[in-house]
Amino acid sequence: MRSHFLHMVIYATIVSTFFATMFRDTPKGRLRLGGILWLAMVGGALVLAYVMYPFPR
Amino acid sequence: MPERMAHDASDDNLGRSGMGRLAAIVAAAWAVPGLGHILLGRVQRGLLFALLIWASFALGLAHEGRLALRDPRQPILSSLQVIANLGVGPADAVARFSVYGKPVYRFRGAPDWRSEDRVERVFRERARSGVSIYGTAYLWTAGLMNLLLLFDVWDIGTRRKN
Repeated sequence: MRSHFLHMVIYATIVSTFFATMFRDTPKGRLRLGGILWLAMVGGALVLAYVMYPFPR
Repeated sequence: MPERMAHDASDDNLGRSGMGRLAAIVAAAWAVPGLGHILLGRVQRGLLFALLIWASFALGLAHEGRLALRDPRQPILSSLQVIANLGVGPADAVARFSVYGKPVYRFRGAPDWRSEDRVERVFRERARSGVSIYGTAYLWTAGLMNLLLLFDVWDIGTRRKN
């Protein structure tokens, strides 16, 4: 599997689920923190990619 | 401050046998990811942690992640990498045995990239693999997550955390 994007999504899912489970006790709290972390990782990477798009090197 | 004092008091309440039992649980948590939480009664949480760590570890091995070896040319950085790998417990030694033929943790002297030594050759081949960068990240993450879990187990055991 060589898709960088797919790896990023899988990685973000594993890490965000881990931290949400560790730091929140309720399902609602876990979902909220996990969602925030997942969006921060995946969304942040996509935003950064677009910002860097004009500067390929 | 009063909260901190309450924490210290809870440590005292555990007693010597309680601390010994907790140390054994932390050791079990290192050896088998998720087991520490299960032994402390957090079964669902422990199973989920186990699933996440084993998934990350399996993805790392499936993508030819580098099982770090201490390199005398970069002792600090490479040692930290080895520690990250070791975080996952004895499974790391099994993986090294499977990949390198023995549970090896350091290069014998400075690595020679033309060497035909099995460990150096395998390490070199995996580093060149196109997917190794993903696998290495998964392996380190599995180990670091399990190391973080040890602190969580300790905090739950000393009642600093529910």
